[in-house]
Amino acid sequence: MANDLNSPVKMNMSQDAQGKWGMVIDQDLCTGCQACVAACSMENNVPFVGEVDAGYGRNMQWIRIERFWSGSFPDIKMTSYQPVMCQQCHKAPCEPVCPVYASVHSESEDLNLQVYNRCIGTRYCANNCPYQARTFNWRDYQDARQRPELVTLQNHLNPDVTVRRRGVMEKCTFCIQRIRHTEDTAESENREIRDGEVVPACAQACPASAITFGRIDDPTTQVSQAAVTSRAGHLLEDLGTIPHVTYLAGGA
Amino acid sequence: MSDKISRRDFLKLAGVGAATTAVLTGCGPAARLVQREPYTKMPEYTYNGLSTYYATTCRECSAGCGLIARTYQGRAIKVEGNPNNPVNLGKTCARGQATLEGLYNPQRVRGPIKHSRGQSLYGSDNQNVESNMSWDDAIQVVADALSKNQPNEIAFLMGMAPDHLFDLITDLTKAINAPAPIRFGALGMFEARTTLMQAANDLLGQSGLPFFDIGNADLVFSFGANFLETWLSPVAQTRGYSSLRRRNPNQRGYFVQFEARMSQTGAKADEWIPITPGTEGLVALALGSLMVTASGASLPAAYSNVDVNSIANVSGVTLDTLKRLANMFAGSAHPLAISGGAALGQSNGLQTAEAVLTLNALVNNIGKDGGVFLSPLAPLADEYHRPASIREMDDFVAKLQSGSIKVLFVHGVNPLFELPKSIALRDAFKNVPQIVSFATFPDETAVQADYIFPDKHGLESWGYQKVAAGAGSSTLSGAQPVVSGVYTADGAVPQIFYDARATADVLLAAAQKAGGTLASALKFKDELEYIQSQLKGLLGNTDGFFSAAEINTFTAYFQQNGGWWKTSDDRVAPSASNALNKTFNATPAQFVGDGELYFVPFVEPVMAEAGANKPWLQEIPDPTTTVVWNSWVEINPDTAAQLGVDNDDVVLISSDAGSVEASVYKYPAIRPDTIAMPFGQGHTAYGQFAQGRGVNPFDLLSNATNEAGDLAFASMKVSIKKTGKKRQLSRLEGVIGVYENFGQQP
Amino acid sequence: MIKSFFNALNQPLGRVGVLIVFLALLSGAVWGIAQTQKTPQQPIDFPHNIHVGVLKIPCLYCHPGALRGPSPGLPTITKCWGCHQQLDITKTSPKLVPLVQAVQNNTPLQWVPVMWIPDFVHFVHRPHIAAGLNCETCHGDVSKMTVYQTPQVINMGWCLNCHRSKTEDNAQNNPTNDPAVAASLAEERIKLTDCSTCHY
Repeated sequence: MANDLNSPVKMNMSQDAQGKWGMVIDQDLCTGCQACVAACSMENNVPFVGEVDAGYGRNMQWIRIERFWSGSFPDIKMTSYQPVMCQQCHKAPCEPVCPVYASVHSESEDLNLQVYNRCIGTRYCANNCPYQARTFNWRDYQDARQRPELVTLQNHLNPDVTVRRRGVMEKCTFCIQRIRHTEDTAESENREIRDGEVVPACAQACPASAITFGRIDDPTTQVSQAAVTSRAGHLLEDLGTIPHVTYLAGGA
Repeated sequence: MSDKISRRDFLKLAGVGAATTAVLTGCGPAARLVQREPYTKMPEYTYNGLSTYYATTCRECSAGCGLIARTYQGRAIKVEGNPNNPVNLGKTCARGQATLEGLYNPQRVRGPIKHSRGQSLYGSDNQNVESNMSWDDAIQVVADALSKNQPNEIAFLMGMAPDHLFDLITDLTKAINAPAPIRFGALGMFEARTTLMQAANDLLGQSGLPFFDIGNADLVFSFGANFLETWLSPVAQTRGYSSLRRRNPNQRGYFVQFEARMSQTGAKADEWIPITPGTEGLVALALGSLMVTASGASLPAAYSNVDVNSIANVSGVTLDTLKRLANMFAGSAHPLAISGGAALGQSNGLQTAEAVLTLNALVNNIGKDGGVFLSPLAPLADEYHRPASIREMDDFVAKLQSGSIKVLFVHGVNPLFELPKSIALRDAFKNVPQIVSFATFPDETAVQADYIFPDKHGLESWGYQKVAAGAGSSTLSGAQPVVSGVYTADGAVPQIFYDARATADVLLAAAQKAGGTLASALKFKDELEYIQSQLKGLLGNTDGFFSAAEINTFTAYFQQNGGWWKTSDDRVAPSASNALNKTFNATPAQFVGDGELYFVPFVEPVMAEAGANKPWLQEIPDPTTTVVWNSWVEINPDTAAQLGVDNDDVVLISSDAGSVEASVYKYPAIRPDTIAMPFGQGHTAYGQFAQGRGVNPFDLLSNATNEAGDLAFASMKVSIKKTGKKRQLSRLEGVIGVYENFGQQP
Repeated sequence: MIKSFFNALNQPLGRVGVLIVFLALLSGAVWGIAQTQKTPQQPIDFPHNIHVGVLKIPCLYCHPGALRGPSPGLPTITKCWGCHQQLDITKTSPKLVPLVQAVQNNTPLQWVPVMWIPDFVHFVHRPHIAAGLNCETCHGDVSKMTVYQTPQVINMGWCLNCHRSKTEDNAQNNPTNDPAVAASLAEERIKLTDCSTCHY
């Protein structure tokens, strides 16, 4: 694998495994129903920001479904719905710019981490992310003292995921709490993690089963198999970020 | 010397301050601010730090998807789909995911309340009105209402779900000879269930809700059906769509959508055909006629009156396109035509449903894989009890208006929001002396009631639900409480915060108090005993995935697995022998009003009719426009240019029935002669997240119906006027420029 | 004005004033630190030394969650009562009044956590026990304590020191100098020093 960031990198996950965990999203199946967005927010304690802040683009959702138009009426087509979350780049542009090492690479899982307790909110990482995958806590959205409506609503907060405060950057973690939980279960039963045993919240909810998740360093897993198709591609592939999310083009 | 502090001095002062603060606050953990309370008695199956999972049923819509709720130390943390439930096979939609925001919603009814009509159930500070009566008194009120009024003066209005409560109230009304409960929901109206069933009855000679086997088809022609959004059983249909595309690795299923405004479903189509509203049935007839002509056979009766050229003119689909599509349909191994959505909400909706069914009969797919079936009848169901059509609701409202109803019980539906304003329910309420609402949330109907006796939230309740659509096998989804309630943390002993009680329990207790035939007919200790008495009908039945000979064992399995369903394929294959013999007049739809634009209301796909009080659903972008937290009106950019309006300009839309104001969203995929508005916002109550947000397009609708009696909701012609005001819509997609005053009313 | 204030501080009397303020702040700080290091008041002065030291009740009898998952858990009052209802001292001891009352009113005892980690750290007991650690390795010898006191300041350095020393390729961890063991130690070391092991 070329280390030169300027040279386009050819990627075929199953043959040239770069990474550990990966995701394949079949855009042909994605119906844009937003179940993944709701499931992710529910699992990861993502706050809602209200109409005004949402208007300023401060939505906190870790996953968004993009759609674009091509052509004009009556020959207009909507491009395939494209769920975009943190691509968990192997060579992540967000990492080298963090002055406090809050945006670091996990050596053991090959994921991009955001260490909330280190983050001081410079937002350099969000600036440098080509996928716009990072969201910033502009306010204390989860503080019931400032938002009295949360006194009851905060009951469903997931104890496995840190509740972030104001001034902290956050992003999709590939549901690392579920990876850790499954690892712990597998270890306690003295076995390896089975293929398909780790399911992130988005993949679990998806009614069209458009999202597959698993180990990409093993060519036999569902996720590696799904990526072997001519429809496979990565977002902004020529940046050489080596993203761990593979998209299967829709419409074919 | 100036009085100004120098930078150096400032830094000195700041340094001393910071050091002091650090010394005083930076030591020692915050631990002593925390207290930990262990359980007094540990519930069974609960371990510290580990989650407990319960199987139950989603109550957000009437589809009856199975859920697995994750609970942690008495709180519900997350819901996932039940992988075994045949309806959803482990999947959920966004509404289902947000069901916890209903359970823990800041605005629920606090307890039994007697209040004067029109008075809000929460103050301007969003504090809920406290309960002002005991449950014993509440039960007495219900008992009096049931025993002191004549049976024909009692009316029950219920939601769409065919659940245990519907069975209980049916038994109750039978016992006292009162009229059977009426069921209604805006979703059922948008789905045009009555029309679909009527069409099946007319052509196939058998009543039932059609089941479109999308998953096994190769080619799907959808005439307005929004089957990936809110229609019938969206999770099951999305699974079918997924299979349509990927079932056969060598041949990807093809999908064509006919509609005037591109819906979320239409966006997934390979071809989107923007036809004139109200001509969907005609196009279906033209396609059939062309197919028969091309094959050289003689035209069956159904196509005897079809003039293909004039249909091409009126629908705006060229003859070439029609011929190409007819050819495609005829050449496919498993073609399937579906009708739904705005196509059925027209004055000729029944004709459209029948024309589309005829198209299926023509390719001989009735009762075959990849074709049209009738949905299996749920266990315990004698027939599918469909919700009331608008015509029936109109009659019901007239009955209320006449003053012959003395007490009205409302449960599971919010008719003041879910009915068009032209059906004057609000006025009719004035002639009903007593209205009792069992609403969990302070919705518009509860505000107009005399008593609110809140039912528990779905995640706190027992129950079962007869699955009406979506599952291929006969399915009874079971529900059980996953949490005991919502508690406050104040004080040493947590107090229940939402003192709700299951409506079934209230009715059973009231029946005992009322005495007489009611008491002897409903001799049940509680809701659970009633449910068990119903489930006894399934004992010893070996068709299911489990069987038990004894009721307690059966109930235990029922709870553990989240219901009972058969393992067989129970889809009903009706006879199609007469399906091609009905002649059509091929009439285009009639429209109400003389405005210049067709008006297409549609259900907001994420929020639907009752999601507006859940902040997450509000914040999830609409899949097509990406607008959040508000209402909008979709206008073709060319039309907008002619009207001189741009994005976010507020326009006044008027029809014969009324007028509303909304911000413009220039939507490129809508016919220039059509505008569209989402249904779901425009609440005047229903909690702080819903109230005062957006507008309700129902204010523009008349009570015109199609031939089957369903509301012709897409039959209005409206006019648009610029108001000169501007209100920014918040949306996910990029907006250029600096904006202010998002979401504020001008 | 502020400038003249600084000038005043430069006078001898001003310097004495500064000293007094400084000493006051310092003593306040020392007092504050001392307060935080005191063991907090608990609803019952629970004598670990009797339960563990004298009666030899295993830790996991009352804190069984440590074996299964993240949290060891605090015993329910029914668990306390299971033994205590058979003991005469329960009726007579003034120290046990809170327990008796809690059982009578069915209210939980409100304990104050002593060994406390912040919310952004996800600590799971199970793998630590599975790795062969004894409770007293981290929690100290509770058989010598009455009300529980934490034996050390819990911070990330303390966690990491242990994670590092347990995965070092040295004579203790790899006595036979086996390359396979060395490789697995190196892998473990990457894993156990990864931020995502505890922070997510």
